[in-house]
Amino acid sequence: MLWATRRSCHVDRTACIWLIKRFLDPEATFSFFGDPAEAPEGAELFDVVGARLSHRGEDCSFETFLKEYGLGDPVLDEIAEIVHDADLMDDRYGRPESDGLDAVIRGMQLALPDDDALILHTDAIFDGLYAYLQRETL
Amino acid sequence: MLLVYRIPREPSRHRVAVWRKLRDLGALYLQDGVAALPEDAVTREQLEWLQLRVREAGGEATLWEGRPGTVAEEDELVGAFRSSREEAYRSIITGAERLRRKAQMGGGNVLEELGKLERGFRVERRRDYFRSPLRGEASEALKAAREAARAGGGSAGALDNGGGP
Repeated sequence: MLWATRRSCHVDRTACIWLIKRFLDPEATFSFFGDPAEAPEGAELFDVVGARLSHRGEDCSFETFLKEYGLGDPVLDEIAEIVHDADLMDDRYGRPESDGLDAVIRGMQLALPDDDALILHTDAIFDGLYAYLQRETL
Repeated sequence: MLLVYRIPREPSRHRVAVWRKLRDLGALYLQDGVAALPEDAVTREQLEWLQLRVREAGGEATLWEGRPGTVAEEDELVGAFRSSREEAYRSIITGAERLRRKAQMGGGNVLEELGKLERGFRVERRRDYFRSPLRGEASEALKAAREAARAGGGSAGALDNGGGP
């Protein structure tokens, strides 16, 4: 399935992409656009104003994905807290990992040529975070 | 970037939530309902979500890219952004100096309070878009306090000789 979101992905969108690939759609392909008007037809939009899978109330898009797909995984719930704090910067969960994650992904945005390159690296980060939290949580 | 918005007075929680978010981002109000932030990928995104939030609350919001018409006005705006961070940096500097003295006098556990100040500093730094001149000073004061805390043992109850109230 084709998924589409805005260009210049940061923590929330890179986390959603990882979630889609690992938990929802192993065959997923992604397209990045500048303006929602350029979004490819038939693609499932996410983290875009007005999309089903986007910010909702106080939640960031990653949290909306978890709720929308009923992914009851305590490790993903923890990652959601980290992503929330990094994305919305409101310290809702007081997760110390957020600051580091924010800095690393912001830096990768600067260091890598585009979102396609970025998400290969961020997938590895979220895999690592998942493995680490799984050991801690379960 | 400018967020130009109007939001119903009641219920006031939406109004307050938007105001608080703008404050946390370090935005400057140019007028009532006109908030300015320097443009980068992060601020743009935050403002887009805020725009959505205002609309969901039954208000109106538009997002603009713009710049002041003259160099002088631009300098003035940058100056206003810088000075908007000064008070927070000053209180961090004062707090850090107090903790440094306390640690040097063997005043017990300062690490927890110091950690709070350091977190506060990171928050300020993130929304200090134009490097307020006090940033360096605040950073130095925190470093000195941390060094003093380490030298003094800093941990709970260490050398707790009269450091209490």
